[in-house]
Amino acid sequence: MTTTTAPTTSEASTGAPPKLLMKGNEALAEAAIRAGCLHFFGYPITPQTEVPEYLVKRLPEVGGVFVQAESEVAAVNMVFGAAGVGVKCLTSSSSPGISLMAEGMSYIAACELPCVFINIMRAGPGLGGILPAQSDYHQATRGHGHGDYQVLVLAPSSVQEAADLMLLAFELAEKYRNPVMVCADGMIGQMMEPVVFHAEGAGPPMADNDWALTGCEGRERRIVNSLYLAPEELHAHNLALKEKYDRAARDEPRWELYGATEGYDLLVVSFGTMARIVKSAIDELTDEGLRVALFRPITLNPFPYAACRDAMDALPRDGKVLDVEMSMGQLITDVKLAAAGSREIAFMGTAGGVVPTPDEVAARIREELGAG
Amino acid sequence: MTTTQGTAGPGPVAVEPRELRRSAAEIVDPAAARVIALAGGYGSGKTEVAVNLALLLARAGRRVQIADLDLVNPYFRCREARALMEAHGVRVVSPGGSKHWADLPIVLPEIAGMLDPPEGTVTLFDVGGDDVGARVLASLQPLLDRYELWLVLNARRPADATVAACRELRAAIEGSSRLTATGVVANAHLADETTPDVIVDGWRHARRAADDMDLPLRFVAVMDALAGSPELDVLDAPLLRMDRHMLPPWRRPATGDRHG
Repeated sequence: MTTTTAPTTSEASTGAPPKLLMKGNEALAEAAIRAGCLHFFGYPITPQTEVPEYLVKRLPEVGGVFVQAESEVAAVNMVFGAAGVGVKCLTSSSSPGISLMAEGMSYIAACELPCVFINIMRAGPGLGGILPAQSDYHQATRGHGHGDYQVLVLAPSSVQEAADLMLLAFELAEKYRNPVMVCADGMIGQMMEPVVFHAEGAGPPMADNDWALTGCEGRERRIVNSLYLAPEELHAHNLALKEKYDRAARDEPRWELYGATEGYDLLVVSFGTMARIVKSAIDELTDEGLRVALFRPITLNPFPYAACRDAMDALPRDGKVLDVEMSMGQLITDVKLAAAGSREIAFMGTAGGVVPTPDEVAARIREELGAG
Repeated sequence: MTTTQGTAGPGPVAVEPRELRRSAAEIVDPAAARVIALAGGYGSGKTEVAVNLALLLARAGRRVQIADLDLVNPYFRCREARALMEAHGVRVVSPGGSKHWADLPIVLPEIAGMLDPPEGTVTLFDVGGDDVGARVLASLQPLLDRYELWLVLNARRPADATVAACRELRAAIEGSSRLTATGVVANAHLADETTPDVIVDGWRHARRAADDMDLPLRFVAVMDALAGSPELDVLDAPLLRMDRHMLPPWRRPATGDRHG
């Protein structure tokens, strides 16, 4: 087994942290350590296996704990336990594995425990394939387990953003005492790009965990529980959760607007790898004199509805909105909610690991604009 | 408007066939190596180097066959450049049909026929990453007589960043492959953000690692757009001028083939 040397500063001359070439999966793993996460529980599955592979080497170097569970069901319940004692913890999987973790996610959210999930999405349904897809959008933003709970979902579009959002994920998990998911497709997980880590070494442990089960000697006992038999109590519990999700919906939406932002005739809505491809298409179309912009949600949940609606409202009356996704119409659910009936939303989608080229996206945009 | 994309490479560059043959011969001695396995840490650029090496040798008039032995990872494998290599007369051996997309441990029967190529033919093995990826070579080892095993190093990869790490990587790959390393390839880069300094620092690092392991530094792999940089004059090994073929889907390949 080879060792992974902790990326440390070798560019002393400039004083800047060194740029490293990393896969998205590796950058997510290293960023988790920088965020202070020293506990990982998981199970291998393509195309996310570099996350555990990286951490199994790195975590012992920083005094961390790595457990390869016997299944995803076991892994998520190990996360449940670790989160319950107030340590920053992480699990990582890809689509079918996330489905197996659904029950645990509901329990963890019900118990208001902070933790982070990574989903490196592959093509489904079922075993599907191992190439990239975005077809877990509904699952991430609405699905997985049962009950009135939510998971905050962050969607990186580059390796650097994957690292940055990992730090944010741990921050939000702690702030809301709730699971946070970093949801990227297989291409972001597998591709290599330069990345810089601004934080040095392993980050701090959880600051505010006065709810955690740490042994009650000398203090009142604490209980982490999701069972509320009395209807009024469970109702109140759900209201408290809703208040939390409403607060996140108000304070946490993040997005990017790209392209002809000073005035555009067509707005594309897209995220992750697909947004990168749309950007390449927009660059080409801008050179042709077409006015096209991209609205890219960075938080898939809470979805930036108001910002998305503002971006649509900046279109001329006959302007177009085109939803582009590597799935069969999932992101478009939220785009339609943002539009609230004010506009038609055109749809372009692929599945199965088929990734549209910038040329295909550009051709579709020209068609929508009657320019091709 | 902000642009996150790099610029396209330079236009076609005319290369004299004689110069091409000389540069190919510098990198692969026509009289010696007939089987070359490219191994290294995963993500060190083995596949990009293997594809470019295959194309260089083919353009220089050598018969080349390449086998995709990456059984570990289904993304960014040399089978993705199959059409281009075949257009240059390179024989590409990789699983067909839907197995093209699998991460299954498939070693095709054709591989056995590639282990002792006829005079004048070069066999390239593009091996998967780390010791895990190199393990497949152990099954071929009893049949391999003369071979080269080159370790591809990218100093900007965390796993290749220190001489000690390179030494460990070598030992792990030799242990799992049951082969002995015979050279080092310097392939330092930061994708679109590569500068001549990145290449020179990476060459120094690979040189130190090669000296430490008592292995020759075979060549320095450099993207074509940077190959003419004056900073590279200090390099003491041949250059493999490369085009980027392993691209994310939002990047178009450089238009046309600069070699015509």
